[in-house]
Amino acid sequence: MSTQQRFTQALLSAEQTFPAGLFCHPDAESRFAVYRNNVFSSLTSALADSYPVVAQLVGAEFFAFMARVFIQTFPPCSPVLVNYGNAFADFIDTFSPAASLPYLADMARLERLRVEAYHAADFPGVGFEALSRFLEYPEQLHSLHLKLHPGTGVLCSSRAVFSLWAAHQGQGELAEVDPNHAEHLLVLRDALNVEVLLLSKACALFIQALQGGAGFGDAVCAALEEDNAFDAGPALALLIQKNLIIHAGLSEAS
Amino acid sequence: MSNKLNTLSLSATALTLALTSALSLVTLPAHAADDMEKCFGVAMKGKNDCAAGAGTTCAGTSKVNDQANVFKLVPKGTCEKTASSTSPTGYGQLMAFKPKM
Repeated sequence: MSTQQRFTQALLSAEQTFPAGLFCHPDAESRFAVYRNNVFSSLTSALADSYPVVAQLVGAEFFAFMARVFIQTFPPCSPVLVNYGNAFADFIDTFSPAASLPYLADMARLERLRVEAYHAADFPGVGFEALSRFLEYPEQLHSLHLKLHPGTGVLCSSRAVFSLWAAHQGQGELAEVDPNHAEHLLVLRDALNVEVLLLSKACALFIQALQGGAGFGDAVCAALEEDNAFDAGPALALLIQKNLIIHAGLSEAS
Repeated sequence: MSNKLNTLSLSATALTLALTSALSLVTLPAHAADDMEKCFGVAMKGKNDCAAGAGTTCAGTSKVNDQANVFKLVPKGTCEKTASSTSPTGYGQLMAFKPKM
């Protein structure tokens, strides 16, 4: 084992071990403990900043405990701190002490989408005129491909994560939320503001299909299969209004 | 199977109608950057926009709520109506200011 591997193992070990032969200073062990404490405390703060509602839902003490196990299991693999924790939601799914809060993992997914939307690269939206030009080709609208802004995220949850999240932003009463009600939502960035919007399931499937590279016709079909009263007009209007369509073409965007 | 049926029944007319209705629903232009103003003293901790001045480097780096020398872009005309806990006027300001004690 290399020195570096021994160092990492000791750093992440639950037993608070000290890597042998690290440094001959007499106080090296307590200095290593200080270093370990800083690593865990900074990464826990980074997670708490990225997942504020998850932290509020479980309380600071539980969050710190959950974060410690997460950090030990998934140490950072990139120096970019904002990317740290993109495996947090999947980890929460498997973290048995959190099993009594079945909506917690999806809440983490929602908050992850917000972080990603916030940091996504800028792209100008396709304008009104550019889109109206496609009305001249009605026969080809079926294969109109609409590429969405990279900061756009859809979450389909079997729990009421939108209402729970909104209640933590001062919208609605937490006590009135039935957490077992399925909700579908869209996370987007309009200029500099990250927004979270509640969607119908059909609308969520429509946007997800577009994200997956489906043409306009197939995306509408995917939504109609869920709800045969689905109206693509308002759904598409939302995407245009929020500047989420960054490329439109009659073949799949490269 | 049902997918195929839907595909067949989804006519070019239906799609044209959907696009037309979408375009007719889009009325208000979204906030462009030039409809925004820099508003000092209203950004939540860590939620400021870029170029925050001394003590901070860039977006998302402000240390306290309503920091007086960092700004947030807000729709034009709303800044001086937004409450600020640090501003002597009680509202956001268009220039960096000295926070009240």
